[in-house]
Amino acid sequence: MNIKRDISTNAISSFALSALFVLTLLSILLQHIPQKLSSAGDKLLEINAQEGVANAVTTVVVYFRGFDTLGEIAVLFIASFGIGLMLNFQVQNNQNKVKSNFMLQLGARLLFPIILLFGVYVMTYGHLSVGGGFQGGVIIASAVLLMLVSSNHFQLSHRIITLLETFAGVSYVLIGLIGLIVLDSFLGNFLPHSASQLGLLLSGGIVPIIYIIIGIKVGSEMSLIVQNMLQRSDND
Amino acid sequence: MIGVIILGTLMALIVIAFVAVIEPKLPDAIILSMGIGLGAVVLFVLFQAPDVALTEAVIGTGIGSLIYLMALKHLGERQ
Repeated sequence: MNIKRDISTNAISSFALSALFVLTLLSILLQHIPQKLSSAGDKLLEINAQEGVANAVTTVVVYFRGFDTLGEIAVLFIASFGIGLMLNFQVQNNQNKVKSNFMLQLGARLLFPIILLFGVYVMTYGHLSVGGGFQGGVIIASAVLLMLVSSNHFQLSHRIITLLETFAGVSYVLIGLIGLIVLDSFLGNFLPHSASQLGLLLSGGIVPIIYIIIGIKVGSEMSLIVQNMLQRSDND
Repeated sequence: MIGVIILGTLMALIVIAFVAVIEPKLPDAIILSMGIGLGAVVLFVLFQAPDVALTEAVIGTGIGSLIYLMALKHLGERQ
């Protein structure tokens, strides 16, 4: 009971402190509301119309801020690498794993291809509709997680995952370097991209290609993180 | 009408977050944080940001919370 009371008093005091902090920030911010909102967004939408990409968010993430996205992917790679390094020292054994329910096994086997297909769709149509590489890759990783939880024999091949990851990372940087050579800017859009092709699957130049590469990289890294966490947990 | 839904979701989010902080059982707190992710998805859709909503739906309520649960299972015996 004593521990519980300590936790609740700590929680109440931290809640009150954070509420005070937010109120102070709001009172400072409310004095400086600009008269015209979202002028930068209007400019971005104007430039976006020339690029031939229907989804403006994709243009910002992949094209205008392509270098930042490369950095984000590097952060994800380092996180996956660290988890693998910390957790993978022990020998894995799946012998003492609890056998999962029959309904869970059947349902997971039924849902796995559907979720996988949805992930690939979100990844491929990222420049036309909602979604993109990050979302598609994470959806694929969630399908892998479902199979890992339900099935005793499902195992990702480390060699294939490493190949996919290396291929995606190298081709991202290579496309950026080709843009640097052809157009004098890193990740320059050197493929044809005209506004008349807006809404087609093959439109927007390098933007859909880069988003598919991001999807492959995010999907393989998140799947590897999930598999490492699950197998290490089984040993306890 | 949409304003009422937004206000209700925000209030529910604040209540769930407060309960998640004072919850003494850690697995229940993680499941409550999944609920926060779900409310955030509703808010993102209402504010017309479906890209962010898709990411939050998969990471915030799915993989992220499950990684927390696995880490908790891993750390359980050391507490």
